[in-house]
Amino acid sequence: MNMTFAGVAVAALIAGSTASAQDVIGYITKSATNAGWMMINQGAADAAEEEGVNLVSVGPAFQGDLSSQLEVFENLVAQGAAAIAVAPVDSAGIAPAVNDAMGAGIPVVAIDTGVAGAEVTSFVATDNYAVAKVQGAVAATLVEDGQPIIYVTGNQAQSTGQERRNGFVESFSAARPNSEILEVPTEWNSQEAQEGVEAILNSRQDVAMVANAWDGGTMGAKAALENLGFSAGDVKLVGFDGAGDAIAAMDEGWVHANTAQMLYQMGYQGIKAASAAARGEDVSARIDTGFFLVTPMTSGTYKAMVGIE
Amino acid sequence: MTDISRAKATTSLQDRIVLGLVKFFKAEWSGAFLAIVILGISIELATSGRPFFHPSNLMTILNNSAAIGIVAGGMTLVIITAGIDLSVGSVMGMTAALTGYVASFWGFPPYLAIMTGLGIGLAIGAFNGSLVAYFGMPAFIVTLAGLSIWRGTGHLSTGAQATPKLPETFDMFGRYNPFSGLRDAYKEGELSGFWESVGGFIDDNWINFFRTFQMSMLIFIGFFIVLTIIISNTRYGRWVYAIGSNEPGARQAGINTPRYTLLTYMFCSFSAALGALLFLGRAPYAKSDYGQMWELDAIAAVVIGGTSLFGGRGSLWGTFMGVILLKLINNGLTLAQLDTFWQMVVTGLIILVAVGLDIVRQSKNPESVRKLLGAIAAVMAFLALMTPGAIFLRAKIALLEHGAATTLREAGTSLAAGQNARLLSPDEITQLQSAASANLTATLLLLVLVLATAFVVLKTSRLISFGLAAVFIVMILPVSLLGYEITVPFLVLGAAALLGSTYVHAMFAKARMLDVNAR
Repeated sequence: MNMTFAGVAVAALIAGSTASAQDVIGYITKSATNAGWMMINQGAADAAEEEGVNLVSVGPAFQGDLSSQLEVFENLVAQGAAAIAVAPVDSAGIAPAVNDAMGAGIPVVAIDTGVAGAEVTSFVATDNYAVAKVQGAVAATLVEDGQPIIYVTGNQAQSTGQERRNGFVESFSAARPNSEILEVPTEWNSQEAQEGVEAILNSRQDVAMVANAWDGGTMGAKAALENLGFSAGDVKLVGFDGAGDAIAAMDEGWVHANTAQMLYQMGYQGIKAASAAARGEDVSARIDTGFFLVTPMTSGTYKAMVGIE
Repeated sequence: MTDISRAKATTSLQDRIVLGLVKFFKAEWSGAFLAIVILGISIELATSGRPFFHPSNLMTILNNSAAIGIVAGGMTLVIITAGIDLSVGSVMGMTAALTGYVASFWGFPPYLAIMTGLGIGLAIGAFNGSLVAYFGMPAFIVTLAGLSIWRGTGHLSTGAQATPKLPETFDMFGRYNPFSGLRDAYKEGELSGFWESVGGFIDDNWINFFRTFQMSMLIFIGFFIVLTIIISNTRYGRWVYAIGSNEPGARQAGINTPRYTLLTYMFCSFSAALGALLFLGRAPYAKSDYGQMWELDAIAAVVIGGTSLFGGRGSLWGTFMGVILLKLINNGLTLAQLDTFWQMVVTGLIILVAVGLDIVRQSKNPESVRKLLGAIAAVMAFLALMTPGAIFLRAKIALLEHGAATTLREAGTSLAAGQNARLLSPDEITQLQSAASANLTATLLLLVLVLATAFVVLKTSRLISFGLAAVFIVMILPVSLLGYEITVPFLVLGAAALLGSTYVHAMFAKARMLDVNAR
């Protein structure tokens, strides 16, 4: 069930009338249009069906809209959701709303992005920092010490973006101390990634690799390479997320490594945890959904696992 | 006889300079153009070794400006009619997604998919324009609704999924390079005689020049040339300005204002669709979330370019410059590897400067111009101040935070992780204290300079300005001795701005005189 914010009040009312049979689980996602988030949302929907709960799922008007996320959070609390699963667009910004819900006895499960300044029942996510360290270490094996690289960052005002950048930079710099890291700042926008990578690659001929904080950036970087007439493999690409289009680009020889989050698992286990908490069962405070290192060698296994043909 | 003619020649050179300046500042695009030049020079200085003023980098900026530039071109006409179109970003996203969708999944040949996209643009424009022109609904509301409707329609109709990579025909709107065929033939050794030498020349200069010579840029420039010709030479162009400056008057003069308003909105949405095609020519795939917030970027570009939001006044070349300024900020700050958060602050400041220049330009008041130059000098002094000042402040703040955390701990509060991180070791404390005291002299010296310059902005005589310019120059020596050579360019520019400010009144008087004589 996917609906706009305008529809949520009506939806929650309808949901409320059938709640005697089924628990209502509110699910506030970060995006309904981003390829990665669509996988997470699919996992959430499947878990809800298995658990037999009524999932009221709401996506923001545009990615990163905190105020509408707060509003829908309050609506869900007021209308008596049994538990709320939320993917905060802003770790600190969502905290007051989370505190209110927890205070009212409604369990809150944070998915993908943690909450800063409030307790949650459970935090279900990849350990971004740990995975980014693996990404950095693998990326280091693809270049020689001294070769400069580009790193496309995510939003540096969010914990996800900070952890991915810091993890990557720390482990890459440890392994390749003489390689310069040129950063392209973005707010999870592939157009920004494309333009920034194009600007840098155009002004220097020595960049050996473009590593990315998420696969939208990977695809933007690939477009930048194509715009400048590079062929697959001229400049190596390293991705993060394991999104379908980035894996396809790996098969064509553009992408050399990708640390895939278990996106489907994130949504699936998040809603499982929320349903269990709604029934009053104990849930683990931190559920790590793990990752998978996709390389040209392992891409077949990965595709079979997540169901990409 | 010869003396008189020589005197005449010299004055006429000076006159010509003054007249040239007057002519330049009368153009609506001069504010944005000046901001581009100033920003370009500062980025060039900040990116030593990563050339900024390089043909291939400038062409990259043009290539990346093309899609949003064409959207902003259509927006300019709407704003000149005193309207607004907030839906362009959504229209761009929806047409991009649908064009890619029918080309990828319905088996439409590329040209048919392109016609579909442009047709959708025209249809949406007709819808928006009819509501505004014939039903009297406010443009702001109609297009605000459109912002939501067309984004949602785009997501719904394509399932918000990305398409596969689009057919090569779409490259003709973007990354296609007219020289690549010649270069490939040269590398294959298929050329001979004259064409072989041309091919060789292209291949030698490929990286430095020809690589970024792409269709995006050519279409972008061509679009603005054609549109300028249309606007300045046709009745439609004149009516657009007339509707914007005085709509009832235009109607009484017999202009069919609803029809031309409708046409303008249709053109604006058509431009959004054309911008979508240009974007697809450089993008990895087609997707319905393209073009988010483009309406704001387009409006910003139009306003930076000197077009009035109240209609009736504005120019397409101003918008052209405005778009380039916005893209140049991104490109330059990325090349300069400025910290992300600083990029946000600096972007906003540059926009303020560009619009500020435009307002001063319009005021035609010598005192405002003098104040502006004084303010520039003050900013330069401030930038010089921040070199030692930032070190001083950072050390002082770290010590203060350490003090606050220590007090809390002594009071028995258990510290949070963030507070613990602010506690310092004795070594760090001595280091910070010495950093603070080492930078104190230079900070105080430059602080006095900033305050003096700020005072000059408010009230001055020519003598004081001259004197202060001299102080800027004199300051170079002690500041360099203290080890802050990096501040020298700021001090030189500050002195130049102050000296320039003393000539402003004379220059305006001269310009007025010449203007009267010319009449």
